[in-house]
Amino acid sequence: MILSINDLTVSHGEKTIVDQVSLTIDKGEWFALVGQSGSGKTMLSQAIGQLLGPNLRASGSVSYQGSNILEHPKTEMNQLRGKAISYIFQDYHGSFTPFLTIQQHMDEYLQTHGVKEKKKRKNMIKEAFESVGLDASLVRRYPFQLSGGQLQRVSIALALLLEPDILIADEATTALDSVSAHRILSLLQELQLKTGCAILFITHDWRHVARYANKIAVMKDGKIIESGSKQKLIHQPEHVYTKQLIQAAPTLPMRIKEASKS
Amino acid sequence: MSVMAFSPKKIKKAKLWLISALLLVVLAAVAYTFLYLKHDAAMTDVGNRLASPSWEHPMGTDHLGRDVMTRLLLGFRLTVGYSMIALLAAVIIGVPFGLLAGLRGGWVDRLFMRIADGFLAFPDTVIAIVLSGLLGPGIGNLLFAIVLVKWVNYARMVRSTVLTEVQKDYITIAKINGLSTFTIMRKHLMPHIIGNVLVLASLDFGKIILLISSLSYIGLGAQPPTPEWGAMLNESRPYFQANPEMMIYPGLAIVVVVLVANILGDYLRDKFDVKKEVQP
Repeated sequence: MILSINDLTVSHGEKTIVDQVSLTIDKGEWFALVGQSGSGKTMLSQAIGQLLGPNLRASGSVSYQGSNILEHPKTEMNQLRGKAISYIFQDYHGSFTPFLTIQQHMDEYLQTHGVKEKKKRKNMIKEAFESVGLDASLVRRYPFQLSGGQLQRVSIALALLLEPDILIADEATTALDSVSAHRILSLLQELQLKTGCAILFITHDWRHVARYANKIAVMKDGKIIESGSKQKLIHQPEHVYTKQLIQAAPTLPMRIKEASKS
Repeated sequence: MSVMAFSPKKIKKAKLWLISALLLVVLAAVAYTFLYLKHDAAMTDVGNRLASPSWEHPMGTDHLGRDVMTRLLLGFRLTVGYSMIALLAAVIIGVPFGLLAGLRGGWVDRLFMRIADGFLAFPDTVIAIVLSGLLGPGIGNLLFAIVLVKWVNYARMVRSTVLTEVQKDYITIAKINGLSTFTIMRKHLMPHIIGNVLVLASLDFGKIILLISSLSYIGLGAQPPTPEWGAMLNESRPYFQANPEMMIYPGLAIVVVVLVANILGDYLRDKFDVKKEVQP
C-alpha cells in the first residue's frame, strides 16, 4: 500500500464536492478513477497534493508512509512534491512556463530537490529525455517549439524525473488524438514497469481504462459508487451507472475480449 | 499633391516614439552634463532683471535676474528626478503588495482590496491635494502623497496578473514539483509582471510630472526659489503680461516632457499588448 485515502471530503462552503471517498492505491499499480466531468475527480486528485484553492476545504486523511499528508506543513509538503507525488495534466501547453526552456524547467526541479552537481543534472535530464523517446537535443527548446505529443512526453519525463512513488495523471491524454494518446499511455505503462511507481489515472474515457488499468473506481457526484479489480468491474458491474459508462464506450466489445484474454 | 499627404495619420507611430525617445535622451544629456549650466540657478542679479535673450542668457533672465535657461535645465533634473523617485517608490511598494495579495488570497487579499477601492474612489489629484494640504506644503510631502496615491495601481495590476497566471497549470506544476512560493514568484511570475509594470510606469510618468508641476504651481509642492517647473510657472505669474516668455518656457517644457512620456508609454503598451485594466 503506497497511498491510502480515508473519508476524504472536499467542500466549498456548504457544497460538498468530494464526499467521504476512501480508496487504497498499492505499489506499482495502475489505478483508474473514472467519472463524468464535474464528478469531483480532479478535486480529489488535487486534495492529495494539497493543491486545492483557498476556498476549498479538505477533511479526512490521505496517508503516505504512515502519516497524514493533508496535515503536512508547507515545507514538508514541498519535499514530498515531485519526489513522492507528481502530476501530469491535460493541458500540456499550459504545463510549462512559456519563457523558460525545457532544460531550465528540469534543472530547476533537480536543483530544488538537492541534486547539486551540474554534470549529474545534465545527465539525468538527458536520460529522462531518452526514456520517453525524445531526442536529447530538444532540451534546449522552448515549450511552444514542441508539438502536443512531444510536450506530453516531456511532462511525463518531468514528472518521473525524481522517480516518485505515485504519479497522478489527470486527464493526461484527453487533449491528444487517439493514436498519440495510446502511444503516451503505452509509454507510461512501460515506464511504470521500469520505475515501479503507482499511477492514479483520472479519465472519462473507458477505452483507456479497459486497456491499461489494474484497478478501477467509478466516481459520480463526489462519491465512489463502485470500485474493484478491472475484471470485476468490466464483467460484473453492479451499479447501474457503471453499466451505463461501459455501454457508452464506443469500441467496447473488442476491448472486453482483449481484457478477458489477458 | 493632396492635403492628405500632411495628415497626422501619415506620421508613423513607430517614428514618433523614436523621435520622442531621442528628444528625452538629448534633454537629459543636456540637463545632466552641465553643458549649458554656465550660471548659478540661485544667483540673483537684480540690475539685469527681465533681460531679453542674449548670448550670455539665451532665454533671458527672470524677475530676479536669474538665468532662465539654467533654471529650466535644472528644473528638468528636479521635475523628472522627483517623478522618477515617486514612480520607483510606488512600484517598490505596490509590486510586493500585489504579489502578496494575489498569492495569499483570503483575508490579506480582501483587506488589501478594500484599501485599494478606497483610494481608487477619488481622483488622484484630489487625494494628492488633500494629503499635501494636510501635511503642509513641500516637495517631500508632495512626493509622499503621490506615492500613496499611485502604489495602489501597481498593486492592483500585479494582483490581477498574478491571479490570472496562478490558475494556469505551469504554476501548479511548479508547485507540484516542490518549488517554494518565492522561487515560483521570482522565476515563473516576475517576467510576466515586469513587462506590465514597465508599461504602466511609463504611462504614469507623464501623469506624475503633471501632478508635481500642477501642485507646485498652486504652491503645495516645491517652494520657490527651487527651479521646479511648476514653481517657476507660479513665480512668473505676476509678470505674464509684460514678459509672457517667463511662463511660456517652463510651460512648454512641461508639455514637451509629458507628451514625450505619453508617446513612449503608448508605444510600450502596444509592444507589450497590455489590457487597459487599471486605467480609470
